[in-house]
Amino acid sequence: MTGAQAASLSGREADGAAASAVKALQAEGRLPEARERYAELVGRHQRRAVRIALHYLRESAEADEAVQDAFVKAYSHLDSFREELPFEVWFTRILINGCLDRIKARTRRGRWFVPMPDGPGGQQDFAERTPAKGPSPEDQLLARERRAAVTRALARLPERQRSVFMLSHYEGCTSREVSAMTGLNESTVRVHLFRAIRRLRVLLADTTEASGEKRRVNP
Amino acid sequence: MSILNRLRVTHHLDDAAMAAVWTEGRLAGMAAHPHLGECASCRARFGQLAGWMDDLKDGAVADADELFPAERLAAQRAQIFRRLEAAEHPTRVIAFPKPPAPMAARSSGASRWIAAAAAAGLVVGVGVGQMMDFRHAAGRSPAAGLEARLAERPQASASPIREIAADEAFLVELDASLTRPSVPELRAFDDLTPHAGEQPR
Repeated sequence: MTGAQAASLSGREADGAAASAVKALQAEGRLPEARERYAELVGRHQRRAVRIALHYLRESAEADEAVQDAFVKAYSHLDSFREELPFEVWFTRILINGCLDRIKARTRRGRWFVPMPDGPGGQQDFAERTPAKGPSPEDQLLARERRAAVTRALARLPERQRSVFMLSHYEGCTSREVSAMTGLNESTVRVHLFRAIRRLRVLLADTTEASGEKRRVNP
Repeated sequence: MSILNRLRVTHHLDDAAMAAVWTEGRLAGMAAHPHLGECASCRARFGQLAGWMDDLKDGAVADADELFPAERLAAQRAQIFRRLEAAEHPTRVIAFPKPPAPMAARSSGASRWIAAAAAAGLVVGVGVGQMMDFRHAAGRSPAAGLEARLAERPQASASPIREIAADEAFLVELDASLTRPSVPELRAFDDLTPHAGEQPR
């Protein structure tokens, strides 16, 4: 057993213990204590939840709301949580369902509303307003361009391939965990990951070639 | 059967086979393909693929960390617990505003007298209105007087001849009253001018 697996296992045990304790406290009506104990779970899964929501929604304000909703929903439905399933898997499923609902709602809205164009004085995303630190502006710009290209390529993947890729590669979930989170069977998870990688390679190779062409034309 | 076995592996591993090897290794914890141990160029290409995958992951994590620094995560956590606390308190329902006492309790003797006076005023008003109407009826035009007399005529007479004569007189009078101007000053002019009903001679 590797160190990471052992840490993950102990993390899972801690999650299970915390979830059971919160459930018991809720049942006894000791709500402030239940909230206090739930903070432990929130602290452990918040950053990961934010990453997943961001990759689904690609908009930080909406991802923020989706994560909040998922934690509130998980707390209020904790009585339906079964200890045999890791809390992480149960919670991620709630989060993914919430993100998919938001994407559906956004698509519906998109049919009826025309988005406001972003002007020079328009509201920028939080990332663009965050002061820079570390590498040079040029490096940052290149890194941002590269990440934007990856985001665009990911957005072009079918929804299942994207989910499987994010959960298994970015979040380090096993095929069994991804299967429990997405409802796909394990062999389908593997096929989706394989196809996602192949497609990303093609899409990002095209992007790299295109940006290389651009640099040659405008050195 | 693994994805790798489904792909036809030739001498060197192509991109699809590389992706399959990486997927199987990542998800199923399978050992690297035996060819990678033998072929340095494929090993190098596989290393490139693994590095590229790691770059993707690092970029995604950096992106999320940049968008959600520690302060924003703390604010989010605080908001989650505010919402949880708010959800635990039952919603307070504000009652719809209503009068301090029921309407029936406010009715007094004075309001009853006001209602009675209004009703009496209505009755007196209707009575006076009726009387005024009778007076006006007495001083109406000749045609109106004729109508009144017509109404006053006896319904049954003694003999049929007298009845016909009376009817004839009545019709002459009716004709005269309708064709001749009712204003006395204009009668002289009326006599001088031919009437529409008269035949030209």
